[in-house]
Amino acid sequence: MTKMTIPLGPQHPALKEPVNFSLVLEGEQITGSTVNLGYNHRGIEKAAESRTYLQDIYLLERVCGICSHSHTTCYLTCVEEIAKAEVPERAKAIRTIVAELERIHSHLLWLGIAGYEMGFETLFMYSWRDREQVLDCLELVSGNRVHYAMNTIGGVRRDITPEQKTEILRRVSILEERTKYYIKLGTEEATVLARTQNVGLLPHDVAMNLGTIGPTGRASGIKCDVRKHEPYLLYGKLDFKEITHDTNDVFGRLVVRVLELVESYKIIRQVLNYLPDGPIAVKVPAKIGPGEATNRYEAPRGEDIHYVKANGTDKPERVKVRAPTMANYVAVPYMLNSGYLADAPMTIAAIDPCMSCTDRAMVYDTKKNKVRIYGWDDLRKLGIEHYKKRGVDFSKL
Amino acid sequence: MTIDSTLPALTYILVFPGFTFLAVYGFFLQWFDRKLSAVMQNRVGPPWYQALADFIKLLAKEVIVPEVCDTVMFKVLPYFAMAAVMTSVFMLPVWTDALYAFQGDLIVVIYLLTIPTVTFFLAGWSSTSPYATIGAMRVLTQLFAYEVPLMLALIGPAILAGTWNISEIAGFFTNNKLYMLAQIPGLIIALLALQGKLERVPFDIPHAKNEIVGGQFTEYSGRLLAFFYLAIDMEMVVGVALVNAVFLGGTLGTAGLLGMAVFLAKTMAIVFLLTLVKVAMGRVRIDQMVRGCWQILAPLCLAQILFDIFLKFKLG
Amino acid sequence: MSEFEKEEKLKAQLEDKFGGAISDMIIQRKDRVWFEIKAEQLVELMNFMKTGMGFNRVSTITGVDEGEKLGAFYHLTDENGIVTVRAKTPRTDPHLPTITGVFPGAEPYERELADMFGIKIDGLKPGRRYPLPDDFPTDQYPLRKDWKVGDAYPEEKTSPATEAK
Repeated sequence: MTKMTIPLGPQHPALKEPVNFSLVLEGEQITGSTVNLGYNHRGIEKAAESRTYLQDIYLLERVCGICSHSHTTCYLTCVEEIAKAEVPERAKAIRTIVAELERIHSHLLWLGIAGYEMGFETLFMYSWRDREQVLDCLELVSGNRVHYAMNTIGGVRRDITPEQKTEILRRVSILEERTKYYIKLGTEEATVLARTQNVGLLPHDVAMNLGTIGPTGRASGIKCDVRKHEPYLLYGKLDFKEITHDTNDVFGRLVVRVLELVESYKIIRQVLNYLPDGPIAVKVPAKIGPGEATNRYEAPRGEDIHYVKANGTDKPERVKVRAPTMANYVAVPYMLNSGYLADAPMTIAAIDPCMSCTDRAMVYDTKKNKVRIYGWDDLRKLGIEHYKKRGVDFSKL
Repeated sequence: MTIDSTLPALTYILVFPGFTFLAVYGFFLQWFDRKLSAVMQNRVGPPWYQALADFIKLLAKEVIVPEVCDTVMFKVLPYFAMAAVMTSVFMLPVWTDALYAFQGDLIVVIYLLTIPTVTFFLAGWSSTSPYATIGAMRVLTQLFAYEVPLMLALIGPAILAGTWNISEIAGFFTNNKLYMLAQIPGLIIALLALQGKLERVPFDIPHAKNEIVGGQFTEYSGRLLAFFYLAIDMEMVVGVALVNAVFLGGTLGTAGLLGMAVFLAKTMAIVFLLTLVKVAMGRVRIDQMVRGCWQILAPLCLAQILFDIFLKFKLG
Repeated sequence: MSEFEKEEKLKAQLEDKFGGAISDMIIQRKDRVWFEIKAEQLVELMNFMKTGMGFNRVSTITGVDEGEKLGAFYHLTDENGIVTVRAKTPRTDPHLPTITGVFPGAEPYERELADMFGIKIDGLKPGRRYPLPDDFPTDQYPLRKDWKVGDAYPEEKTSPATEAK
């Protein structure tokens, strides 16, 4: 049979991420694959050098929409280490809560995507519906659904009130109930098993060699949970398990993620019940350094590592961001090879790719010098007028 | 039934049970299926006119024909698919007995229903783009997988009734309602195979959007795509009507408006079952489907046929 | 210094093995060690770190513009800590050997180093450039300090409105 090369991305219904895979096919079987990255470069590292430490928090929050808290927390642990600032215990607790809520939100999102990629749309609809619960929690705590903006240098910006605490606990119980259902579904439903077992195999030694991290690595039996091995925030004091699995396939990655949800619920309960009194932030001078620090953080997708170099001014000399997807992408061609085309989306989705995290170091160019700012109402008005001109009137809605 | 003049014939072809009826009921079933799955998935779902609106919108769009493809074939295929489906409806009992019932019409209907699938293959193949080509190959592979269990499943009732005439099979089950219970395994297999024929989850492999975008229809657009979708909707009506006639006794001896009502109620119930299958499962892989059809469904069908033969002898 | 027992041991072993090639060894805190290695011995050191010391992953490589020299900081990680290996190369003719032979996962980081800082990676297998677009000028390295926004595409010279004053 003749070989055929089909492109997967950068625009493709299966991949919401701007990345390109070239798959060489023999019939249905993949015999070779290459990854092309770099479609989403925004120059964040360069931009970070020209902004103050405080401004960089908001910049780095926008590295990724899903692990926004991960990136800022990782960056701030570096900055605070250089500035020798002692973050209050309560602030650490709140950071931990938001971090775990974020993990729940990310894993539920992944579960939905996994369902979608295997053509199981009901799973997608269900898990995204339940994800609203955790998004509501995040909105309750931070006022935002995606970019929480909770972190500031030396602590957090918002406190958690007792009412919020009870509300979060209530929603976590609902989610726990639903997660039990997903565990049952994921490990028993025939089509899910057929599409995940022995798919995208990544043996332990190969994963080790390629430096795979996060749930992908843990499904290959690598103990790589930073929360456990190099505790930051409050994780050293908490009781939770590091989930690993030994099937090395997509099924293992599914199980790891779903079981991690259960651990996250446990962590949130513990931290909420512990929540020490005290201030939520300390004051840190604007000029920091000189010095340098590098820290790790277990983002939902795996180990996130930041390097910050300070030079004594209010702007960093260098900020380096390495998002987890970057480390896992190297393993994808291995997982794809000799698999089926039908499994390609599933395999790629199983590492939970996040391209905006990964491609972030280039300079953007704004074509126009003028910047026009639209508010929400302006945008709405613009949209209505746009359609009115075309004969559709939405203003009554 | 014979045709005395052209007028009734044209009415049959264009209005009932031909084009208009098939299109309207096809649109309705498509909406019914979408609304049901939406409700099952905790969504709101589309309004009742959505299917028609989609069709009209597609009609208004530009038709783009790829330069490298076989232009004539590319343009003709959707109508060909639709014509084959429309032809087969005349042999099915819709509100009363079928318009043109004859010995062997079961085979003819099965044959006619294979034509749309072949046009899907040709559509993908003549598009020559990678996604469409892979989709086309999947259509053909899938055809070989589900066609055997589907045929074997339909043969069971025919053997039991001792006729190859769909209307007579329906009549047989109307008179011997208890025998319907003996056909339940065959019915389940036929429904699963029908799901494969209609290319719905878990067998929507040829146009699995996550893998090969639009599959065999990737290069199709505008009017041509609209008619392909219409053909699929019509195929759903015909497929469901066929299962209804062969396994469930068709209109159960009723005729006229009552027969119509019975027909609609029973076909909607079958669509409900199909939707349930669609919602409760994920998509399987093509190799898993072929293996499942040949190793599980086909032997089960053979067992059903043996059982039917045994029953037939006992009947006398 | 019993507080940093593990780190002291690592330091002793490395100095024993590589002697003069290693300089500026700092134990910053628990689980954080920084030192500099001569570029010629980089691959050998990486090999030793992986096989002898159990650092099974290079988490990332940070490029740093230090004026006269360009630095590449290899952040090696094991389960518990990060060891940062600095390698430096002159700005006028920047060259570093590839470490993909030891850590295959380091390939994208090395490409980034080549694209962003213009450090030539000897031995890196040819491939599509990352992360810059294909039409980006090959003699410009955006993360060097002397590079300004607008250098690459002069006709679109502009400064982001949100830049700090």
